[in-house]
Amino acid sequence: MKRLNIHFLLLLTGIFSCAFQTSGEREYQVKAAFLFNFTQFVEWPAGSSEATGSPFVIGILGENPFGNYLREIIAGERVNGHLLTIQQYKNADEIKLCHILFINPTDNKHIREVITALKGRSILTVSDAANFIDAGGIIRLSTINNKIRIQVNPAKAKEAGLTISAKLLGVADIVSPNNN
Amino acid sequence: MRAGSHFLLSSIFFVCMLTIQLDKGFGQSTDSLSTATLKKLSLEQLMNIEITSVSKHAEELEDAASAVQVITQEDIRNSGAKTLPEALRLAANLQVAQVNSSQWAISARGFNNVLANKLLVLIDGRTVYTPLYAGVFWDVQNVPLEDVDRIEVISGPGGTLWGANAVNGVINIITKSSKDTKGLLVEGAAGTSLPGSGSVRYGGNLGSRLSYRVYGTGFKLGSTLDTNGMKANDEWPMLQGGFRLDWEASEKDKVTLQSNIYHGKPNPDAADTAVIANGDNIVVRWNHAAPATPDFQLQAYYDHTFRDFGNGFSEDLKTYDADWQSRYRLGERNELTYGTNFRLMDHRVTNLQQFAFLPGHKMLYLYSAFLQDEVTLIKDKLRFTLGSKLEHNTYTGFEFQPNIRLAWTPRENQTIWAAVSRAVRTPARIDRDFYLFLTPSITFISGNDNFVSEKLTAYELGWRTQPCQSLSVSLSSFYNVYDDIRSAEPGPPPFGIPVTFGNGVKGNTYGAELAVTSQVTDWWQLKGGYTFLKKDLSVKPGSRDSNKGSAESDDPENQLLVQSKITMPGGIEVGTVIRYVDRLPKPSVPEYLGLDARIGWKVNKALELSIVGNDLLYDRHSEFIPSSPSPREIERSVYGKVTCYF
Repeated sequence: MKRLNIHFLLLLTGIFSCAFQTSGEREYQVKAAFLFNFTQFVEWPAGSSEATGSPFVIGILGENPFGNYLREIIAGERVNGHLLTIQQYKNADEIKLCHILFINPTDNKHIREVITALKGRSILTVSDAANFIDAGGIIRLSTINNKIRIQVNPAKAKEAGLTISAKLLGVADIVSPNNN
Repeated sequence: MRAGSHFLLSSIFFVCMLTIQLDKGFGQSTDSLSTATLKKLSLEQLMNIEITSVSKHAEELEDAASAVQVITQEDIRNSGAKTLPEALRLAANLQVAQVNSSQWAISARGFNNVLANKLLVLIDGRTVYTPLYAGVFWDVQNVPLEDVDRIEVISGPGGTLWGANAVNGVINIITKSSKDTKGLLVEGAAGTSLPGSGSVRYGGNLGSRLSYRVYGTGFKLGSTLDTNGMKANDEWPMLQGGFRLDWEASEKDKVTLQSNIYHGKPNPDAADTAVIANGDNIVVRWNHAAPATPDFQLQAYYDHTFRDFGNGFSEDLKTYDADWQSRYRLGERNELTYGTNFRLMDHRVTNLQQFAFLPGHKMLYLYSAFLQDEVTLIKDKLRFTLGSKLEHNTYTGFEFQPNIRLAWTPRENQTIWAAVSRAVRTPARIDRDFYLFLTPSITFISGNDNFVSEKLTAYELGWRTQPCQSLSVSLSSFYNVYDDIRSAEPGPPPFGIPVTFGNGVKGNTYGAELAVTSQVTDWWQLKGGYTFLKKDLSVKPGSRDSNKGSAESDDPENQLLVQSKITMPGGIEVGTVIRYVDRLPKPSVPEYLGLDARIGWKVNKALELSIVGNDLLYDRHSEFIPSSPSPREIERSVYGKVTCYF
């Protein structure tokens, strides 16, 4: 009986403890998996990775919300022979070679500035910011009913010279900016 | 309860041992664990992951001033449930007992019976009870479980919003939008109590705003055992198919059209001729949501169900239902919800000479309107809800079902709520129109035109808290006062026939429901609850109820549920469901401990394998003894399943 009671206490401490997981961890784990998936469902124009040895870059602009998850997911992975790497940026003008850019904006104005600065470059812009599509972003990860949905603006992808596969478009919500 | 507490402790012990072993085995690699699994998921699967795993589906549920528990798609998949009633076992606030291969007794807050009549069940907005006995034929409520988004289980009255029959609870089964079920899914399963089952589903887009899915599913559930341990031969085969279309007509408008058709041959009596149960239904629903104007939902459905009992008696029911609901924010403080409903049930039976519902054909009309106002007394802190439904039915005319609710949210993650509500169970055909003849001139049971609605006044008090993202706790308690509950009244002497149904029982019940969900670690979720129920029913003066007030229910006093979900490296999942169910008093069923376990392996994006064991602790056991057919026992069983995604 004593043995049981000890186990019972152990269980209770397990159940009633809050220390294990901080909020939002799982959310960004899943979002990191989405970013990795995008590398497989989007085609970049020839020449966007120059030499054979050059990496395929996933950039994070602003604070990194993924912790180590993104790094773990892409570790050792390649896209068309290019090794996936992560670049961390503070400002848009630091962005050199970049294929996917996750924007974690400081404020709304910031998004528009970044999008404008990247105009004409073949970068798949991704964010979870509410007004991201309106600001001219390509993919927004939105949260509906506790699950993540993909919103895609195909017109902006085309402008950037990117081809999004039918498979990705099939599961995504097709949206266009609401400028009024 | 002595042996009961032993069971309880051993179940907890079991879970603990699991933890401790896992800590040894996988403790170090927990960080990379999910990463490996996540990489194996397809886009569709990623989109179905719940990002805060502690269930708080819609914000509304979290603030709701009522006892709500949610069974998620993950819970269902992880439990290995094969049928909808099995999935309902995952709500700790329900009493769910398997009677035989195809029949179940399901209720909330007591009064459980094969003919339980105090629970309202909706599948995608379609009410599925039969006016024959105001209960549910569970053997035709088949939903492809992989298409279920969630099941909301509300214990306690919901008469104001849902209408008559939402006396002790409401089960709301909500399937996924076809937007979330794209691609091809093929699955097959077989095992010791499952001769076979298979499903095919295909979903896609027709243009950018219209998505669809079509499905076909079939199964044959194996026989249960008789009390001697021999096969009872009550196998239950079933075929079903259907489709769903979701059209996002505009940013503000969504239209859903869905339809199902089924054919089943349940055989609870293990008779030479099985029951034939056929049906089809179609639902169309239009949701409009726009800022600054009232939201509304307009829904219409047609449901046809036919049942040939194999002995010459058959039932044919066509239900036509139209429903409108709207929500409007009036100023800063008031949120009004209002709506109307119209339902016609065209009910036709083919009677036997000895056994009859008279008249054989009856049109049952139901129309209702409701209005509810949620008043914010202190912004984000104190809300007061007052509302009522006024419903008219063919048997008793107008019924009034009001409720008052108060929700106090002292802090963002904590709500204390209280409610007083009234709900009624309106007469069903069995109460008013049922006759049993010994000979053409001697009536044994006679219908009673004076049978009135059963009434409930419920007092509820609840507390819900989410101290952190990974833990939520909900405690609900209730005191229910019932009146005019059905009794069986003997006729005049000397023989005491004909027996009629009367309203001769009253009494009260009280109890509590505790529900806990905990994301213990990244890879381990525990969910479960404890439900306590006490009943005190008595015969009213003037009634001579031959069952002394006890015939309508057979409920456990204590129930415990623990569901454990563990994700391991390499795409392996281990799910365990432990249920302790206290003894049932009359007919007596011993307490039991149900143990189901599932091991699943996501081999890659396209393939998932799983093996499930049910009722592992006993060779065979009984969960419920019905007055008819003869009692059955459920055998320990194992099945394997292959799921392919393309």
